[in-house]
Amino acid sequence: MIRAFAVILNALGLYAIALVLAAAFAVQLLLHELPCPLCLLQRIQFALLAIGPILNVRWGPRPSHYALSLLAAAVGAAFSTRQVLLHIAPGDAGYGTALFGYHYYSWALIGFAAAIFLLAAVLLFDRQFARGSEGLQVAPGAFAHTAVALVIGLTVLNVVSTLLECGFAACAEDPVVYELLNSTK
Amino acid sequence: MEFTALFLAISIVMLVAWRGSRSLALTLFAATLAGSVATYLHHATDTLKLSF
Repeated sequence: MIRAFAVILNALGLYAIALVLAAAFAVQLLLHELPCPLCLLQRIQFALLAIGPILNVRWGPRPSHYALSLLAAAVGAAFSTRQVLLHIAPGDAGYGTALFGYHYYSWALIGFAAAIFLLAAVLLFDRQFARGSEGLQVAPGAFAHTAVALVIGLTVLNVVSTLLECGFAACAEDPVVYELLNSTK
Repeated sequence: MEFTALFLAISIVMLVAWRGSRSLALTLFAATLAGSVATYLHHATDTLKLSF
């Protein structure tokens, strides 16, 4: 795998992360379901998953950048596994609405597991780490620029969303209202 | 509030990774990951109702 192709794959990964963050927002806004603390922590791990691809796009592919994403995915898988186990007992309806038969935390566990598998698969290709005539870096194009901007924009939107949801206090374990909007009424 | 701080920290790490120094981005990533794990340990207090 050559470096330029690896950068395109990393940009595609950023689009996939943006899709996950946008889907979480869609559920929050369209179904009026506020994310719980564990749900927010899983969103945070998806956002952290994006740091590795951003570094790969900016500085060229390096094993250490993939390692950051592997760490974020492993921690995210642990968080989502805990939430799956919290609701695994018979009779438990789960937290929030199920999408295509699975709750958000189940999809998150599948997403983190897929990320670990894909990152390991991409790491198999050593040629992406070889220094080319242009050095280690590959100039990112508009496709990669847009992917980075999209992920950063969605993360900043989460800053606003969590501020509205939790206000300036600790976030509620089972949030039902936007605390900041409620306190200004 | 803690989640707002974490998302803000990640936004800063992303901007540093994209426009700033690589080593600073790696350091900030480690600090943010540690912060997210600490937040998880603070919130994950319910006992799991499991029996094997």
